[in-house]
Amino acid sequence: MNSIKILGIETSCDETAAAIVQDGSVILSNIISSQIAIHQPYGGVVPEIASRHHVENIGQVVNQAVTEAGLQYQDIQAVAVTNRPGLIGALLVGLSFAKGFAYALDKPLIAVNHLEGHIYANFLEHPGIEFPLICLVVSGGHTSLLYMSGHDESRLLGETRDDAAGEAFDKVARVLNLGYPGGPVIQKAAESGRAGNIKLPRVFLDRDDFEFSFSGLKTATINQWKKLGAAGEHRADLAAEFQAALVDVLVEKTMRAAEKYGVKSVLMAGGVAANQYLRTRLEKEGQKRGFLICYPSLKLCTDNAAMIAGKAYLSYIRGDFAGLSLNAYPGL
Amino acid sequence: MDEKRLIKEEFSNYKKTHSESLMPMVDRVMRESGCQLDDLDGIAITIGPGSFTGLRIGLATAKGLSLAAGIPLVALSTLEVLAANVIGCDALICPILDARRNEVYGGLYLMKGFTPENTYPPGAYEPEAFFNAINEQVLMSGTERCMILGDAADVYWDSVKRIMGKRGIKAPTHLSLPRASALASLGLKKLERGETEEPLNLSPTYLRLSEAEIKRQKGEKA
Ligand SMILES: [Zn+2]
Repeated sequence: MNSIKILGIETSCDETAAAIVQDGSVILSNIISSQIAIHQPYGGVVPEIASRHHVENIGQVVNQAVTEAGLQYQDIQAVAVTNRPGLIGALLVGLSFAKGFAYALDKPLIAVNHLEGHIYANFLEHPGIEFPLICLVVSGGHTSLLYMSGHDESRLLGETRDDAAGEAFDKVARVLNLGYPGGPVIQKAAESGRAGNIKLPRVFLDRDDFEFSFSGLKTATINQWKKLGAAGEHRADLAAEFQAALVDVLVEKTMRAAEKYGVKSVLMAGGVAANQYLRTRLEKEGQKRGFLICYPSLKLCTDNAAMIAGKAYLSYIRGDFAGLSLNAYPGL
Repeated sequence: MDEKRLIKEEFSNYKKTHSESLMPMVDRVMRESGCQLDDLDGIAITIGPGSFTGLRIGLATAKGLSLAAGIPLVALSTLEVLAANVIGCDALICPILDARRNEVYGGLYLMKGFTPENTYPPGAYEPEAFFNAINEQVLMSGTERCMILGDAADVYWDSVKRIMGKRGIKAPTHLSLPRASALASLGLKKLERGETEEPLNLSPTYLRLSEAEIKRQKGEKA
């Protein structure tokens, strides 16, 4: 088979992204138009504003992806698009554009699940990863542990009962007046603080299942902040302890899952996987216990379309194409 | 459609979402009219006002088609397309769409030949104030009648009757919905005049900010 070049389109949240990936492994271009600055004054992503920017920018972003890959439209063999989960109005922009674009080129359309895309980002950079494996998915909307015996064979071991990890980061950052998005600003603040100076609970760590809960940790953090008089001098210590408490649980439960299911490899995926403290801790703990630890580079951790075009390659070789009536869905 | 005839039109207002139905409909229209995309000289799109999500589904699809096939895009106001439903009518034409939050998207049009000419700017208006303003326009124009049409006509018909009396007449249901054939017909004229759009950064004409922006502006004023 000739090399297969797939155009990926991703608009599930606040990044308008397009990329071209060859054979599910070579990234020819990876364009991301971020809206972070636009949503910052609102302290979070505003769905209507995100959708407005997607529809304005989508054509430009796709053109840039094609140009940077040194290709013409006709060189694209398939158009892949995220159709779930995400903000419905935002997803619909990418999906509608992708349908029109694929139709006009007379090329197949491929639907990709955003979370499966995040997981696939690992395989874009580390093609040798072997199944079975444990994958920790941590993002603004999801926190879950999966047992995977193949790319499309995964079993949910456990997930968060309330807030996703990224959500907890955002909410705590807001209360500590650190701004938005929560992950990067808490990581930054924590660098000048010390975990352990203030004590926060490791929620659910005593349970031997793979469920998570971050709402309690969030509330405990906010209560501590108030108890300390919301004093700026405690901000860094509290940020560090919050981050440590959250990461302790994520890392320990992931390790326990890897031990229980006897896998060799442990993957991490999703926007929160960009957190440096989490990366370092998982790496160290994995080495100690003899697991191969893998997570995407920073550029592929956050939302991007390369992971979508990559994952779509597996559908392409199976001939698993979507019809023109394909819809978008907010949930999994 | 071409200069002489409407080749094929489809319309649906039932159950399925725009996202599910739009592209299959485009595909059927193309097949059944025996057209290839290459045969098309232009794609016309209603640029707004209307449901925000609906406008984006239409425009994003049109952008995808237009860019990939290299076909020029022409954009028309949803209100103007609605007004064109009653071409040949000597009354003033007032298309109104339900904008929710107790507002209508509306404007006023006068038929010049077969082209609706805008005489009161499209906007998101408080209904009572809008119908009063329209009533004044009608009185000043010397026309006796104003044809009200669009999905808000039923919703606000009581207000229209009270404010405009017999001057307000309601279009029948089948003329009260935006039609792709009217859009294509107006689009063709725009295309002939060379009034095409640059598809890369084209945005819908929402006529209203997002709720978050409205709240933020209010907060800043308060
Ligand atoms: Zn994501």
